[in-house]
Amino acid sequence: MRRVLNLLIAAMAATALANSAVDAHGPLFSPAPETVFKGGTEITLGFHSEKATGAGNKEKAYEMFLEAKYGITADWEIGIEIPYAWKEENGGDADGIGDIVLDTKYQFWKRDLPMAQYKAAAFLKTKLPTGGDGGAPRLGSGSTDVIAGLATGYESRRWYWFASGVYRANTEGAGGLEKGDRQFLNVVGGVRPVLTEYKEPDTVLMVELNWERAGRDDLGGTELADTGGWELFVSPVLWWTFGQIAIRGGVQIPIAEGLNGNQATSDYRARVEFIYHF
Amino acid sequence: MTRSGIIRTALFALALLFPLSALAAPTQYQLRIDGLACPFCAYGIEKELNRTAGVAAIAIDINAGIVTVTMNEGATMTEAKADRIVKDAGFTLRAFEQLRTPAGNK
Repeated sequence: MRRVLNLLIAAMAATALANSAVDAHGPLFSPAPETVFKGGTEITLGFHSEKATGAGNKEKAYEMFLEAKYGITADWEIGIEIPYAWKEENGGDADGIGDIVLDTKYQFWKRDLPMAQYKAAAFLKTKLPTGGDGGAPRLGSGSTDVIAGLATGYESRRWYWFASGVYRANTEGAGGLEKGDRQFLNVVGGVRPVLTEYKEPDTVLMVELNWERAGRDDLGGTELADTGGWELFVSPVLWWTFGQIAIRGGVQIPIAEGLNGNQATSDYRARVEFIYHF
Repeated sequence: MTRSGIIRTALFALALLFPLSALAAPTQYQLRIDGLACPFCAYGIEKELNRTAGVAAIAIDINAGIVTVTMNEGATMTEAKADRIVKDAGFTLRAFEQLRTPAGNK
């Protein structure tokens, strides 16, 4: 039972980050259609924290990650994310390299207007089983998972909106556990309260609504009752840029859930990023 | 040569030199760019232009969607080149205009 619990907790923490297809000038907890300009490189140093409690469990996870993106063309980028994770679960703790993610995004539609832009993109990610999955708590799921999605959005000097849908297909991982596939739907609104000049500090406020659903996990052909379900988050985000530098931060606050059986529910998720373009 | 002859010759030489100096002034271009919405995204334009041969300086008016490019003496830019630079940065060139002289001297 303890083994199953550890597997569930590890997989839950690993999949919590699946929706975080971040972009420098888009939302923080959901994907955006932006791509890096041709020949441009974007480096992100980020910190993610989350806590979940309930059903006799107490889970905390922290992750520092380094992400690099490169613009092959103005419409097509590739990237890699390397996380270092710390986890505390029910008295045990572990830290080390987490699951590395490779990703690519193609912006297939764009309409430019004076001081405004509509766009849409498709993306594909692969999460590799690089995180330690032999101890407790586990740092990786031990599975190779595929994440695909669509994102669209509008940005102007004053207003922003974004919408996206993501599907995550999980495969069998450590200990024979196959996490249920997950779906994510996101809508985002944003405003720039003060219109500044180029190379002046620029601030944008956003609010995201993030819905996510997971199918039941499968262990050796048996569906696990206390897994799967849905959660809904509201996420205020602050985005600040100055020249080539961007700093973004936000918190996901759970506002509704329909999780199956007895499970730990999210208390919060927080994220901060330092981004540099060159 | 008489004194008045010297003055006339000097004035004539100055008159000849004036248009030459005007021709030697750095050329400026004004690029109206659609899609420019945030300063962070506009950095792509700055980088693309700064690594373009002959570009001496650029000025971005993010609230008007206008980029002014000042070239080195004798250097020029074609509309096709500007269009390629803007596209590579992820935007659309709506209008391209050559300014006769640097801003402020028109």
